[in-house]
Amino acid sequence: MSPTNGLAYTTGASRSNMFRLQVDELLQQIRPRRGKREDAAEKALHALKAALDESTAKPALSIDEAERELLRNKIAIPFPQPRPPDDAKYKLEFAKPANVNVVGSYAMQTISRSRDDLVIDMTVAMPSSLFHEKDYLNYRYFYKRAYYLACLASTLREAATPCNVRFDDFHGDPLKPILVISKSVKSIVSEELKPSPKWRINIIPCTDSVVFPAEKLTSEKNCVRPTHNAKPEPTPFYNSSLRADMLMLSYLRLLHGAETSCAAFKDACLLGSTWLRQRGFGSHIAGGGFGHFEWATFVALLLQGGGPNGKSILSEGYSSYQLFKGTLQVLAVRDLGKQPIVVGSGTFKSVANGSPMLWDSARVHNVLYKVAPWGYARLRQDAKTTIAMLGDQLFDGFDATFVLRTDDALMRFDCVVSVPASALTVVDDGRPAYRTLYDVLSRGLGDRVSQISIRPPESGAWDVDSSRPRDHVQASVIIGLIYDPDTVNRTVDHGPSAESKAEAASFRKFWGEKAEMRRFKDGSILESLVWGASGKTIVEQIVRYLLERHFSDRVEREATFFGGGFNRLLRGSLSVSAFQPIMDSFKQLETDIRGLDGLPLSIRQIMPASAQLRYATIQPSAGVANGRQSIPADVTIQFEGSVRWPDDLVAIQRTKLAFLLKLSELLQEAHDQPKTRIGLENHEQDIFNQAYLDIMYESGTSFRMRVYHDREQTLLERQMRDKSLAPSAKEAAALGLAAYKRLYLKAPPHTQAVARLCSRYPALSGTIRLLKKWFASHLLANHVGEEVIELMAARIFVQPWPWQTPSSVQTGFLRTLHWLARWDWRTDPLIVDLSGSGELRIPDVDAIKTRFEAWRKLDPSLTRIVLFAASNIDKEGTTWSDGRPQKVVARRMTALAKAACAEVEQNGLQVDPASLFSSPVSDFDFVLHLHPSMTGGKRSKDAARYKNLELAALSDQTLVGFEPTQSLLEELESLYGSALLFFSGSSERPVIAGLWSPQTAPRAWKVNLAYSTIPHKKSKTQEVQAVVNREAMLAEIARVGRDLVGRVEINDR
Amino acid sequence: MWCSGPILDRTTMVPMPGNKKTAVPPAVNDFIVLPLQYPATPSYTQTATHHLYLRANAPKVPTDDTPREVFLVNVPIDATETHIRSLFADQLGGARIERVDFEGARVGKGITAPVAPSRGKKRKRSQIENGEDAGKEVGLLPDVWDRELHRSGGTAVVTFVDKASADLALREARRAIREKRNIIWGAGIEGKLPPLGSARYLAHHKLSYPDHATLQNSVDEFMTAFAAQEAAKAKALARQHSVPDADGFITVTRGARVGLARDEDVKMKEEDLRKREKSKVNEDFYRFQNRERRKAEAGKLVKGFEEDRRRVEEMRRRRGKIRPD
Repeated sequence: MSPTNGLAYTTGASRSNMFRLQVDELLQQIRPRRGKREDAAEKALHALKAALDESTAKPALSIDEAERELLRNKIAIPFPQPRPPDDAKYKLEFAKPANVNVVGSYAMQTISRSRDDLVIDMTVAMPSSLFHEKDYLNYRYFYKRAYYLACLASTLREAATPCNVRFDDFHGDPLKPILVISKSVKSIVSEELKPSPKWRINIIPCTDSVVFPAEKLTSEKNCVRPTHNAKPEPTPFYNSSLRADMLMLSYLRLLHGAETSCAAFKDACLLGSTWLRQRGFGSHIAGGGFGHFEWATFVALLLQGGGPNGKSILSEGYSSYQLFKGTLQVLAVRDLGKQPIVVGSGTFKSVANGSPMLWDSARVHNVLYKVAPWGYARLRQDAKTTIAMLGDQLFDGFDATFVLRTDDALMRFDCVVSVPASALTVVDDGRPAYRTLYDVLSRGLGDRVSQISIRPPESGAWDVDSSRPRDHVQASVIIGLIYDPDTVNRTVDHGPSAESKAEAASFRKFWGEKAEMRRFKDGSILESLVWGASGKTIVEQIVRYLLERHFSDRVEREATFFGGGFNRLLRGSLSVSAFQPIMDSFKQLETDIRGLDGLPLSIRQIMPASAQLRYATIQPSAGVANGRQSIPADVTIQFEGSVRWPDDLVAIQRTKLAFLLKLSELLQEAHDQPKTRIGLENHEQDIFNQAYLDIMYESGTSFRMRVYHDREQTLLERQMRDKSLAPSAKEAAALGLAAYKRLYLKAPPHTQAVARLCSRYPALSGTIRLLKKWFASHLLANHVGEEVIELMAARIFVQPWPWQTPSSVQTGFLRTLHWLARWDWRTDPLIVDLSGSGELRIPDVDAIKTRFEAWRKLDPSLTRIVLFAASNIDKEGTTWSDGRPQKVVARRMTALAKAACAEVEQNGLQVDPASLFSSPVSDFDFVLHLHPSMTGGKRSKDAARYKNLELAALSDQTLVGFEPTQSLLEELESLYGSALLFFSGSSERPVIAGLWSPQTAPRAWKVNLAYSTIPHKKSKTQEVQAVVNREAMLAEIARVGRDLVGRVEINDR
Repeated sequence: MWCSGPILDRTTMVPMPGNKKTAVPPAVNDFIVLPLQYPATPSYTQTATHHLYLRANAPKVPTDDTPREVFLVNVPIDATETHIRSLFADQLGGARIERVDFEGARVGKGITAPVAPSRGKKRKRSQIENGEDAGKEVGLLPDVWDRELHRSGGTAVVTFVDKASADLALREARRAIREKRNIIWGAGIEGKLPPLGSARYLAHHKLSYPDHATLQNSVDEFMTAFAAQEAAKAKALARQHSVPDADGFITVTRGARVGLARDEDVKMKEEDLRKREKSKVNEDFYRFQNRERRKAEAGKLVKGFEEDRRRVEEMRRRRGKIRPD
């Protein structure tokens, strides 16, 4: 393809080029190809056809006779429930098939190669002579069909085909059993060494389209007459299921027609089925009833009509991608439950039960008859999400559309409930009471959830000689809930007013004794529900109550809730309210300072610059109450400009100190409350910030204030460029500039942006905290900057594809890990729009990418910048990750994320959340087990013995900000430089682990080695080698740590 | 529990030497190798042997003191002057030490007040001659550590009282090695030094918050000196403006700070000018302009497409074929 052709193809937008090229590549990969598997399957197909053509008619038998006859051949007739009555007047017959056809995706060459098993559908048309006029009533057609199928099985058994023949329900529809032919088990065993190509052939009985009159089988008709004198209800599923059997060949023709008239049809089907598969949809009822066949038919019908005035919605000239997107657009925009699409002319009546309708007038059939309202809601939501991400101009949505799987329940749903299938009763229509379950849950949960999904258990195939298995005892229905984070934890539900009698009665009927009449503050008297604070979440309380009331005690008892474990990993509340004390305290601080008289310069602004002030620390701000001393939260203060500032870096630092002294003095004079003191830092570099002011409130919150002076930047830049200075001074200026930018220019806007996002997305704060806990638990806390972690978590919220914005901590956390496991940081920058409202524009993204590529060109071995994390407020991308983490650490991070995702995938719902947070320390060379009383995290039992002493220590405000283990870690890092790599568990794990860097490998002895050595001479002729003196270094570390280190553990390998 | 596998690729690593005692040579290049025994500690219960390298100091530019100096390499990280004094005085023949200079020790603790004019009234002693003087300076901030630690593998220069002592020290060290004498690090000075561990960090924490009055004093002193220095600088500059040198030329010097345009102001003006120039003629006024613009756009698209294609190819190379999960 020449570039200009390509351009025409994508109609200009340069961003879609990438997408287009990747789609082409994908299509090449998934188009069917002939291989061994196909050859083997086709050989079997021919054998089957030959066997079926040989079959001979059998005389009509009564049901009893037929069953006995076939049992002699060891075949049980797979009658649907309810069984045919023993006194039935009609007889069962078998005749040679009218025709045998290969249909479906295999015949159309649209079967995607990515599938594990090759599945071929083969229809066997039952001659219409077998059926009587009224056979569409009361399952009679299905009984005869079952008998016919059993006879086919018998024929195949007689023909002794070397295959394994079993019964199964066609797409989970219990009315329609089929035969599944697979390679016989014996031959698989004999070829054990070489796994045989996997294939499966479905033999589907169908019949002629004129056997029964179409108008008798429209969805509002009743075809299962009630036994008593009850009013006949419509049986839409039964009718359509029967009708589908009659239309098998008709749809085959439709698809073939579409394929010949529209060149891109096949590719559109491939794309569609890939998209569906990645989202867990399938033709099977458990898969939502919308699979490859439905997709292809949908597209084919939209090519014919469906639009206003009978015009077609899609055009035959569209490219495959346009067809794909157009179809999704229809799915997303139009609610087919309320506003069915009608293709062709003709009248139809819809049953207003919320099930979607795609009415094919020519064939008098609703193509979507299998799609239940919940499946449809999910489908529509996914279509909407996909349309949104395809429209996202900033980022390439290809992976999210076609590559990522989104059907993992824990990652998809905020809450997953499993209910035993056997406990739900079966209704007349032939299907269990999922509908009732859905209706009850929808009404009961109301706006607390945005989606309810029900996944029935998948029925398995069974042997032809045994009867249809009863619902498996252990099989369970999986209910998935997606929360609305704003309303999910509401404790009081308002029902209808007491005056509207009918509604109130219905409310009472639905809720039973849980409904209470209450008078509210505004004077209204409403029916209402009050949910208490038991150990369970409110959603769990509601679901359990509803299951018990509308189903049975047993359902309630056996219902299992999954996914709550992640929330329990964090102590205290998950919402931003946990940070309210420090937020209030910050406001107080601002008022206190702004209220001061007598400051030499007026204040321009006071800015928060700490994770505590953006709802992002593992534990909410620790005051005395939390049992450990608080760590002061960073804030910056900027004064109005003045010409009296000195124009010298060192003098500026002293002037700042003078300002802080004045501020401290004024604060002490004006108020009784915050205690203040001035601390010193950066002792070795006099151009860095030298002093800060610690302000401590009695509530236990504390702040660390530094003065922001904008002239510093210019001076630092000048010093950096000054050629007359020594390299060390220039380097110091560069470091100083980086620190200056982080502290004064980047941290405050970052803090504000993250705080804003946290209040917009209720689950974000918890996700960040859990993610930080994860990093700390794996001893990566001192390597991956907390701002980088925040960016990772925020990314999942502002750019959630292929999901919607997470509405719980669990989904937020798992999806972040999922993304982290796949993040190829070598070649992809992390770019996050922290504004969450499109402040990041395409030119910005391009500029960031250019910068990223420049870094990679400059430093291809990733010695300095490994993770590149940019946002709309930090386009440099290196602010938080310059020099840290190193490549080896980043690689470990990815490996750990991968292992965590594998754990989730492997164990599914049963996954133990805590297992994601533990990794063995045996991976490290040595481990310093810190003395428990020193880590500040968990308190040991001994310490709790003298409560008064402990409280005295805690109320000692001079210890605010005292973190001995953190100091030890920093000191060790500076003493050993790059010879040793330390890993800290921070507050989560009381250990510091270490690795010997490869640069400590033996080498020629010299003076300036950055680690302790042993001279080593192997022979007289050899040069003296310097070998790292590990024992001595560990002894030194133990001396420096003294009482902080409880034990040094060495892992030999 | 699940494992994640080794963190570092260890193909380059070599196992520790098994019989290091016998393999350690008595000297490396011209350094003597002196084994020091580290006593066991509660958390690390085995003794370890550290190797200190010594030789007579031989800097590229010798000073008068050089003959009585000894150069140490691989100094233990917790070494102090007390340690070194005790090592030579008590365990190695009793040579007496004048002072120990550790590598990277912070001269003047890093806070060097700018060079003040010689006429500055507040100056207690003149420092013009040697700017990096280690002496007490004006306006220093208080020290925040009670004891310095040194980077691993670092060096130090030990100045003995005289050359004889230095020679004695080296001789004693050689003899100790020959006799395989067991020299214990830090023996005899227990309790004489500020402790390490949590006490060290607690002390540091306390020292980091000095008394406000002290700080105020220090700042005041510094600022006065600084002001004086600025004034002197300005005066010196002004003098230079008018003083001809030996050949009768007046050196052109940077003017006073006030008069000099700041870089950023200049840049801003330039930017303004460019903007004004740009807005003079509309860029889509002539036909050729439109044509060229369109051409450039098309070129950009083609380039973008090529770029994308390259990127996809790159992706394929890296990740293999695109396949749905």
